[in-house]
Amino acid sequence: MKAVLLDGSRSGDDGLDGARRALTAELQGLGWQVRSFPLREFEIHHCLGCFGCWVRTPGECLIDDAAREIAREAISSQMLIYLTPVTFGGYSSELKKAVDRIICLILPFFTFVDGEIHHKKRYERYPRLVGLGLVEDGDEEGAQIFQRLVGRNAINFHSPAHAAAVVRRGQGEADVQAAVRDLLQKVVPVPERAEEVR
Amino acid sequence: MMVDDKQVLLLVGSAKQRHSNSQALGGYLCGRLEEEGYRTETMLLSRAQRSETGQAEVLAASDRAGLIVLAFPLYVDSLPYLVIKALELIADHRRGQNRDDAAQRFVCLANCGFPEAHHNDVALAICRRFAAEAGFRWAGGLALGGGEALGGQSPAARGGMTRYVVEALDLAAAALARGEEVPARAVQMMARPLIPARLYTWMGGLGWWLQARKHGVARRLRARPYVGE
Repeated sequence: MKAVLLDGSRSGDDGLDGARRALTAELQGLGWQVRSFPLREFEIHHCLGCFGCWVRTPGECLIDDAAREIAREAISSQMLIYLTPVTFGGYSSELKKAVDRIICLILPFFTFVDGEIHHKKRYERYPRLVGLGLVEDGDEEGAQIFQRLVGRNAINFHSPAHAAAVVRRGQGEADVQAAVRDLLQKVVPVPERAEEVR
Repeated sequence: MMVDDKQVLLLVGSAKQRHSNSQALGGYLCGRLEEEGYRTETMLLSRAQRSETGQAEVLAASDRAGLIVLAFPLYVDSLPYLVIKALELIADHRRGQNRDDAAQRFVCLANCGFPEAHHNDVALAICRRFAAEAGFRWAGGLALGGGEALGGQSPAARGGMTRYVVEALDLAAAALARGEEVPARAVQMMARPLIPARLYTWMGGLGWWLQARKHGVARRLRARPYVGE
């Protein structure tokens, strides 16, 4: 089982280091491989909104940079993790730049999901989606928006399961580890049920 | 820096350099505000974000405008990278400054490719949160579904199909000119589907297929380049 971790930490902000360590350790302890992308260290162009990945080179972005590898890794994983400072309730620009570039993984065509219109699947299987955000203490509204956003992304990404949580800046290591464990329990099957979930 | 109540800054968040639906919507609203005695300035974030000079110009313009209009397309349930980056810069720039939160207003126009306008809800919540964090007074948000129907043209030029869009923007401009928030009636008008959902999805599918055919890849539209990896 493989997890892909997209780390949207902004340059100079180490507030998510503890959460990243806890996520990696917890998943590895469960037997998962974790491929981590500290996004600020990669040269990634922003999405041009050209839809070339749908109508010119179907399934692959026209721009040949690290975002292609991220898309390839994401769709071949069983879990995609968004790690980000919660930014006005949403993702940091570092994370959003990568997220905008993986729309090649779905089709341009529309379908109905629970009465709403969304894009159709391109692939048979999609990874579970996990969002872990860092909020400043007291930003309850930001935390709520973040959880809604991860939920909406999970629908559009056809994720078979999703979960989102926040940790607070300055939170103790033990509390962060507990929050990570709670988060993963929502999407990681106990070992004997692993095949049922996939 | 002094805030000019009659100065409007339109920030266009589309990655497109021209003929974007965001610019069409924002441009129409600004045109109506000009008729009410406002002066408007337009900045394309896709251009401004390329250089430190451009970013500095956005910060300076956002310092002096009494009303900021942010028009953007929905990207993956949220604002595009270009817009989030700009909002981060503006918020960082204003952090710690002693400002009168009521002095500058912030209003948003979101449009998405899904026919249902409510897909924009989370993005507008993010915009509202930004306004609170950066010291702007939230003046409301309008959400449009099926924005592709505009084709990058002014809603006034599209005829009957976009009459509710025109009406919504007219109502919003009149309220903003009076110093009020975007009225609920304008929000409802903007959210009205331009065409029935099933017709939209059928036309959308045909449109994608025609574009793919133009590029010689119609038979590969459903390709899975990363399958098996």
